[in-house]
Amino acid sequence: MKPRHNMDIYALTWRLPVLVWQTLFFIAPLVFMIAMSFFLVKNYRMVEAFELVNWMKMFSRDYFWDSYVLSLGLAALATICATALAFPASYALAFMVSDNIRRWAIFFLIIPYFTSYLVRIFSWYVLLAEAGIANGVLGYLGLGPFTMLNTAFATIVGYMALTLPLVVILQTLSMANIDRSLIEAAHNLGAGRLRTIVSVVVPAGKVGLIVGALFCFILSFGDFVSPYYLGGSKPPTLTILITDTTKSGQQWPRAAVVAVTMMATLMVIAYSAIRYAYNRRQP
Amino acid sequence: MRRDRLVTWLLRIYLALIFLFVFVPIATSMVFSFNSDRFPSLPLGGFTWHWYDMVYKDPDTWEAIRTSLLVALTSSVLATFIGFCTAYTDFRYRFRFKGAYLALALLPPTIPLIILALAMLAWFSKIGISGRVGSIIVAHTVLCAPFAMAVIRLRLQQMDRDLESAAWNLGANELAAMRHVVIPFTLPSIISALCLTMAVSFDEFMIAWFVSGLNKTVPVMILEILQGNVDPRINAIGSFVFAVTVTLVVVAQLLFSAKTTTTRS
Amino acid sequence: MSDKHKSESISRRDFVVLSGGVASAMAFPAILTSRKALADPTELNLLAWYGHGEPDVVSEFEATHNVKFKPKYYAGGDNMLALIAQSPPGTYDIILSDSEFVQQLNEAGFIENLNPEDYPFDDFIHDDFRNFPGHWRDGNLYSVMVRFGHLGVAYNRNTISEEEASSYRCFWNSKLTGKVGHFDWHLPTLGMMSLYNGNSQSPFDLDGAAWDEVKKTTMSLRPQVGGFFDYGGTFNSLKNGEMLAMCGIGDWITGVLEKDGAPVTSVVPEEGGIQWTESYCIGKDSKRADIANRFIQYMLSPYGQVRSAEMAAYPAFCVTKAGQAELRKVNMAEAERTGQVPGAANNPVTLIEEGRIHYRDIPRQQSLEDWNDFWSEYKNA
Repeated sequence: MKPRHNMDIYALTWRLPVLVWQTLFFIAPLVFMIAMSFFLVKNYRMVEAFELVNWMKMFSRDYFWDSYVLSLGLAALATICATALAFPASYALAFMVSDNIRRWAIFFLIIPYFTSYLVRIFSWYVLLAEAGIANGVLGYLGLGPFTMLNTAFATIVGYMALTLPLVVILQTLSMANIDRSLIEAAHNLGAGRLRTIVSVVVPAGKVGLIVGALFCFILSFGDFVSPYYLGGSKPPTLTILITDTTKSGQQWPRAAVVAVTMMATLMVIAYSAIRYAYNRRQP
Repeated sequence: MRRDRLVTWLLRIYLALIFLFVFVPIATSMVFSFNSDRFPSLPLGGFTWHWYDMVYKDPDTWEAIRTSLLVALTSSVLATFIGFCTAYTDFRYRFRFKGAYLALALLPPTIPLIILALAMLAWFSKIGISGRVGSIIVAHTVLCAPFAMAVIRLRLQQMDRDLESAAWNLGANELAAMRHVVIPFTLPSIISALCLTMAVSFDEFMIAWFVSGLNKTVPVMILEILQGNVDPRINAIGSFVFAVTVTLVVVAQLLFSAKTTTTRS
Repeated sequence: MSDKHKSESISRRDFVVLSGGVASAMAFPAILTSRKALADPTELNLLAWYGHGEPDVVSEFEATHNVKFKPKYYAGGDNMLALIAQSPPGTYDIILSDSEFVQQLNEAGFIENLNPEDYPFDDFIHDDFRNFPGHWRDGNLYSVMVRFGHLGVAYNRNTISEEEASSYRCFWNSKLTGKVGHFDWHLPTLGMMSLYNGNSQSPFDLDGAAWDEVKKTTMSLRPQVGGFFDYGGTFNSLKNGEMLAMCGIGDWITGVLEKDGAPVTSVVPEEGGIQWTESYCIGKDSKRADIANRFIQYMLSPYGQVRSAEMAAYPAFCVTKAGQAELRKVNMAEAERTGQVPGAANNPVTLIEEGRIHYRDIPRQQSLEDWNDFWSEYKNA
């Protein structure tokens, strides 16, 4: 099948571009950022060094840990919300519409990712304001007005705007691929819809559910726009802490400490999630 | 059976609500881009083209659009080239550390943009290429290459492996087979990867904001209006960007579904 | 063997085609930019607070001098220093700095020496402004003040009366719980807290005990706070009533909203107000220092002073008498609103002479880092 041994020029031509490019401009920056977390800042200029002072400084600050716990909590909450909100919609798209409608639905769910996220957040700002449209509609129903802006609620709404369509897409794709005969078999055995979902659909679509949840977590954990513009940075997340730190007098090494901590956290979470997703996977 | 129907209808309504959630902000933004009030609130003010006019007449907008187009075009070409190479490698070869190789190729979109932005700015300043339009191009290529790789890889999946070896058996060397068999077969996905990566680059603001120095792209300009003199220009520019990117996506989608019909033959 | 040879020759040709394609893709930006460079006017890089490079301020200067401003905006002096430090020398031609940071710009070697004879110092409305701290070093001039304004209590007139607003105490008013916003920068807010604590001699020169007290006072305000905002957010939240009072700002924000019909205003309370001061500097190694200097002169001319006073992003007081006179001539309403008429109770010079105004400064006994650090802690509390 293979005409030649692997290591010829032709093969290398295709193999090398990504290696070279991503090593130079993706891996190198990340490695440099880790190194930078040990640098010092003197007179607003970074000095290359190997000191633990930035790590000690950030890790000894209560506000760092408060932000850390808060960011984890908000991202986890967003993940739960997105997974739960998306599931019925994905279920409907996977099992209750034609292939054609499903394709169009997915297409329409991709569209928001090609509108400016900033513009959508600004729209949510207008929608959620005290005298805004959401309160207008609620007032029509005799409710409210509620204070929604500058609360965790608004931050979560922003996270949903960012992640929900993607989670629906991933869940739908994984559920649409479930073998229909499995579901029919469950029905024939007398299982109700809910039983079928719990014992057949969820286990079979597990990978899609977990990957969707993971993406939601990563995106929410790394988002700066929602907590800043909708949440009023009250209290600030790690992403806001990063921008604050870079703004205040060139404290890049400290921002790097925050970023490296975030990255390490995400790697642990992603690794566990992927392992869980593919572990003991039953056909 | 009646209960089943009810559930079906409830789920459909729910689905509609989800789509409402997704599209209400986009619609709001478009409506307010024609609204005369400087600070958006209800009830609506009068209809106006003023914000579009302002954007149209502001040379900075055009400068930003030029920069954005330049960045999107160049980085999409580079990213699609890299993505094609990677997809073809994954399709054709097996080698040691292939898992790590693919991880390297696909990892960038899983790193939060703010972290990438910070790391890239620091690294670019270190090696002396920060603060230029080229810096954004390099960074966006990193971010976009995995998307191009995924799109092209999916298409290659549909290619009969024997097609390429048949060409070799007919005496074509590898490059000729690549040119006459592989590239024509993947062409729709290449174009669709170009559109997709262009759209990704056209909307990215975090990295562009950090590494661009004084060169603003359109999304960076939106961010600066949001941080500064907030006015409905945001909505006008946003609607414009929406039109551009949606066109790109539609083209990509049409080419992608055109492909599904030809494959079956 | 021959087969191998043949394939190599073809592949080399194909390779050339391929790399040619990549190379032209790479060269593409160069083609576009070089064409542009021929046609366009000189570009002038400006580092400033939001608004200073917008058309309402610079378009006329651009037209008469065939230049094009390329602004980069910052929020807060620390942010400004960070931006300069991370760009190559000579990046910025003109730097608009908060006066209290000029000294640091100078120490770090970020700005050029200026010629005092280029500027109308004799016409300045107050003696302090001619010799602003840090602007001169060893008899050399490094920066010229162009505009200033006052920070105090900014509030919504529908909720808070003028009497209530006459003291910083009103921020703790139970009517404002969850409705006090902060401009997201430590210096102005902490200065106000310091004044509220009675450090009226020098609100930024605090010994350990006084600094601890300021921190304590500030922390006690935290339950009232509804959010931390950048310039745009501050604007919107006051306008749509999301926030009913704002700490750390003054007329520079409420003035714009007032003109837009919003029921908000700012006063200098009895504990005293803080003066923000903006000065122009020329960036070190600027290749366009000459034209940059002409722009500074333009902004100090009576006409430029009016541009500054009426700036769309945020208004300010004029620093020259001729500028004030010109403002009274073209926009008496604005001159009266801001007290820039002889004998007005809120005349900026009168307020300074009454000792009610304190120049904003960097912390004298703590480092900026300490203040920043506390600000992060406060936001997280």
